[in-house]
Amino acid sequence: MRIIKSLSLLALVLVLCTLLIPAASAHRVHLREQVMDVQIKAWYGGGDPMANANVEVYSIRDEQEELYLEGKTDENGLYNFTPKLGTSSYRVVVELTGHKGELEFDLTAGSQPDAELPLYLSVLVGFGFLVGIGGIAAYLSARKMKAQ
Amino acid sequence: MVHISDGILEPWLWGSGWVITAAILAYTLKKMKIDDVPKISVITAAVFVASLIHFQAGPTSVHLVLSGFAGITLGILAYPCIFVALVMQAFLFQHGGVTTIGINTVNIGVPALISFLIFKAGMKLNVGISKTTIIFGAIAGGTAVVLAVLLLVVELLATGEQFTEATTAVVLAHIIWVIPVETVFTGVIAGFLATVKPEMLSIKKRL
Repeated sequence: MRIIKSLSLLALVLVLCTLLIPAASAHRVHLREQVMDVQIKAWYGGGDPMANANVEVYSIRDEQEELYLEGKTDENGLYNFTPKLGTSSYRVVVELTGHKGELEFDLTAGSQPDAELPLYLSVLVGFGFLVGIGGIAAYLSARKMKAQ
Repeated sequence: MVHISDGILEPWLWGSGWVITAAILAYTLKKMKIDDVPKISVITAAVFVASLIHFQAGPTSVHLVLSGFAGITLGILAYPCIFVALVMQAFLFQHGGVTTIGINTVNIGVPALISFLIFKAGMKLNVGISKTTIIFGAIAGGTAVVLAVLLLVVELLATGEQFTEATTAVVLAHIIWVIPVETVFTGVIAGFLATVKPEMLSIKKRL
């Protein structure tokens, strides 16, 4: 009898203890981060902004591309859009009267800006080619003159 | 503006651009003598960097073309000059597309050839005034840009591009900036070369 009495006391204490623990819930909560605003900047080589250009945003999911948004850049060449929930890959096409640029990026991975050769280097490379071509031609014509 | 990027025009359009460019290149290169090449190189260098001289014109950005300048100095050899300059701009500045080098050369090179013809005809014409080189150089320089813009607009329309406000703004920017600047520049250069270094001009002028 004593054993039953002490067991039931223990049971009572345990039941009372459950009142103290926080309520467990069966409602699992899902969370997902969302970037609210993606800004696209479009500019011409040399730095002038590409204003009022047509923008097309394609969302990429499972390698399927789908036109998501269309719009125009503002006067500073900027275009803002809110990404689709759960889609982080986008391809953006900016186009204005024959000028067109494309950018594919992933919001989770970030985008790497194209490594642009400094302008003065590009100019030097170009001049180098031309001096080379001109030099070869000058050499050939000098040889021709010598031969005559 | 006169540099069309990849993926804008229909394939048949840029394809025919290559065909026309190949034909004119074959003809002009056949006429070219090896002695012309150093001179072409110098002018090509100028055309190559001309696109870097840009103006912020209202909402758009425009740059010099110097096709008229190439025309009056090189004659028909302006065509290979512009082709080489565009190839270098496409690869070094990512200016314009690669598939569109053919059609872009047509857009800039054919007006350059026409500007040469205008310049040549003007020099033959005896208008009875001095400084004909400046006047016809200027006309040649201006015409080259007008024709380039016209060709471009026609091609964009043929592709089904909407003639939007933005397009109008770009065309206007050329009318306001590029055409006057190139007109004056080509005229001054033509007059300058005629007195200082007449052998740089494409025509032999009796002074």
